[in-house]
Amino acid sequence: MSPNDLSLSARRRDLRLPFGAALAAAACLAPLFLGNYALHAIIIALIFLLPAHGLNLLVGYTGLLSLAQAAFFGIGAYTSGLMAVRFGTPFYLNFLAAGVLAGAIALPLGIPALRLRATSFVMCTLGFVIIGQAIAKNWISLTRGDMGLSGIPKPYFALGPASFTISGTTSFYYLVLVIAVIGTLAAYLIVRSAAGRNMVAIRENETLAESVGIPTWRYKLVVFMISAAFAGLGGSIYAHYLTVVSPLTFQMYYSTTMLIIVLGGGAGTISGVVFGSLLFVGLSEALRVAPEVRMIAYGLCLLALVFWFPKGFAPLIDRFWSFLGERK
Amino acid sequence: MLSAIFEQIVNGIVSGSVYAIVAVGMTMIFGVLRAINFAHGEYYMLGTFGAWFAIEYFDLPYPIAIVIGVIATSIIAVVVGKFVMQRIVGAPPETGVLATLGIALVLQNTVILIFGGGYKFFSGGYIEPVSIFGFTLAEQRVLIIIVCILVFVGLELMVTYSRMGKAMRAVSQNIECCAVVGIDVPQVALRTFILGACLAALSGVLTAPVNVSVYGGMGEIITFKTLPVIIMGGLGNVRGTFFAAMILGIAESLVATYVGLQFRDTVGFATLMLVLMWRPHGLFSAQARF
Amino acid sequence: MTGLPILEISGLNKSYGAVRAVDDVSLHVNRGEICGLIGPNGSGKSTFFDCATGLSKPNAGTVKLDGQDITGWSLNRIAREGRMLRSFQKTVVFSALDVEENLVIAGQMFTFPGLWSTFGIGAMARTRVEALRERAREFIKIAGLWDVRHQPAGKLSGGQQKLIQFASMLMPEPKLILLDEPMAGINPKLIERVVESIRFANQKFGVSFLVIEHNIDVVTDICERIVVLDQGRKLAEGTPDEIVRNQAVREAYLGG
Repeated sequence: MSPNDLSLSARRRDLRLPFGAALAAAACLAPLFLGNYALHAIIIALIFLLPAHGLNLLVGYTGLLSLAQAAFFGIGAYTSGLMAVRFGTPFYLNFLAAGVLAGAIALPLGIPALRLRATSFVMCTLGFVIIGQAIAKNWISLTRGDMGLSGIPKPYFALGPASFTISGTTSFYYLVLVIAVIGTLAAYLIVRSAAGRNMVAIRENETLAESVGIPTWRYKLVVFMISAAFAGLGGSIYAHYLTVVSPLTFQMYYSTTMLIIVLGGGAGTISGVVFGSLLFVGLSEALRVAPEVRMIAYGLCLLALVFWFPKGFAPLIDRFWSFLGERK
Repeated sequence: MLSAIFEQIVNGIVSGSVYAIVAVGMTMIFGVLRAINFAHGEYYMLGTFGAWFAIEYFDLPYPIAIVIGVIATSIIAVVVGKFVMQRIVGAPPETGVLATLGIALVLQNTVILIFGGGYKFFSGGYIEPVSIFGFTLAEQRVLIIIVCILVFVGLELMVTYSRMGKAMRAVSQNIECCAVVGIDVPQVALRTFILGACLAALSGVLTAPVNVSVYGGMGEIITFKTLPVIIMGGLGNVRGTFFAAMILGIAESLVATYVGLQFRDTVGFATLMLVLMWRPHGLFSAQARF
Repeated sequence: MTGLPILEISGLNKSYGAVRAVDDVSLHVNRGEICGLIGPNGSGKSTFFDCATGLSKPNAGTVKLDGQDITGWSLNRIAREGRMLRSFQKTVVFSALDVEENLVIAGQMFTFPGLWSTFGIGAMARTRVEALRERAREFIKIAGLWDVRHQPAGKLSGGQQKLIQFASMLMPEPKLILLDEPMAGINPKLIERVVESIRFANQKFGVSFLVIEHNIDVVTDICERIVVLDQGRKLAEGTPDEIVRNQAVREAYLGG
């Protein structure tokens, strides 16, 4: 190695770690320089992140298009809200219960649904949302029907004698940030595991996957349940943030938003989903875009994604990341 | 008691006719494009809005408004058809789902943006009651039933005897052979789509006097009701769709009266879910394919 | 080559409506043997394969693998628990994944004890995957795919994909491999390569084979025993010499 080589390699700096650290620092210090409304936008984006991760596992990795996220989102929201209102349980219990219940309900729903072919499966998942809304509207003794639940208390934590309540946008931001980071980490670990590889195999070629011993149907069911649990967890935070839950939580709108996050951000990538959530949800929330304009934008995005950009922003994110790694 | 039930059934037949006209378009679109048109209800809404606009802003009589509603929708359908629907032919099923979802979002929200989301009052139509077989029925309802019959007879004739109809049948049965035989598949797809959208618009305009309220989000419910109809009638099956639509209309009517009005709109999808979950193999075959 | 046959199929029947695709066919494959299955088009060979490997459900008959009754088992269970693998006529790979990933996936369900264990992130899971990667790399070297091992499998040539497919089937240390027309669509130079691979797997790893093939030269070359199907029924069975001289077989191929 000549002295010239040494100086060359000294000039190539890997900026990825510094960039990541800066991002983490910005995330932790955000409340210092962002106003409440901007924080609110990020909170909403992070709330949608968990259901989006779940949908990504289903659509991006296993190859199953589902519109059911809103149904499990709603189940999680109602579960958490009802527990908080009726029993006054601490947040982490409501949160876990929401995820567990949503995942559990996904089992009896998924078993018949996953026997269907792609188009019927999509329709069936849409049906879950519609039926979910009908149940929320009509099971008045449980859900108070159209009036919904209001006055859901702010999340509080109780550990033995100590307890504290999350009040104020800043504390909520940190709560959601922690949950989002853990959730993203969980999604990342799933994707990097042998199971994650098997899911991709199922997406690429289901029969071939079967022929190498992968029990494809069981995997689809498990991923469906995990995806539902993620959605339920997101719903739980949503309920506590808005303090109100109504049958309108069971709406195509939520499924569509999560779909845009996943497909637009980059299905089949973890960073894409995070980016997608901040871009499509965070940005539109921060810009106070009118709901109709946002939905038109989503619609146009779907069309663009389907015909021209099937990978969403993922290729750009990839290029940016390798650009950082090769900087001279 | 019996006459009350009979009256509900007649009401059901009216609703069924509305659904049938919308659903037959959707099922034909599926037959030719192999795509579930999630935006189908929006064309119903567009037709209604077109007619409403003609009456509100130009004070045109109802029959002209019908024509305007359908023509306005057809223009939009041509644009959507050329730029989106034609590209769905031959694509995997996800493409159709996502693209038509996108179209639905754009159409629905553009209308709301332009006209506002509130309910509008539809003032045209033949709402004078008329007496038939001892029943009192608004004229408009009778008109709906008559148009439905005409539409289906017309479609039956078209599909059997016209060149377009035969081409549609050919494409829906075996799309690969069509290009070889010289059938212009994209053109057939476009025309089928426009026909389907116009039928939905027609249904909307005819129903507006009965429903009275017009609003931008009204298409979504229609889509959600038409999906069960076309699946249970058999995708691409025109006659089956007719019967499924009638059954849905009557079932909704009976449920609304004897079980509860709040359950009426769920009957269709609830039934569909039961069928999908309990007898999926009766509708679609499961085969391993590369 | 003595003892219990590794594969024993009795009285297999498969009908599609009124058509008897497979009519009461029985055959066996001896341990360590390379057995051929030939017959004119439409004789039911592929249907037979599909029934034996769980892709289709036979109407009647039993399938025994290494003494165990696997009739009615699903495709993935036969592969995973029975260690009987099959190839497909059209060469398929996981297109978006690179060569090494393709092979690792092919071996995963055989080292991981169950579905839930594949979600594991601990040391045990990592060790298993490392072992798979080692094995995969060995096969990649033997197959001469080392230089392209990080390329997406979908971008490689047909011949290379066939090698990937073959290596995938060896990842799990199978007992028996069913090959569905392995020579279909490859250029003649690669045929020798594929024949070598089959012999290699058979001799070095003791894998038994049942091969559907149209190329009579290849069949007579590598197979120790040949079974002939015609119109869904077993027509003849014997050594390559016997089959080639069999009158009924010649008629089936040349006649109607």
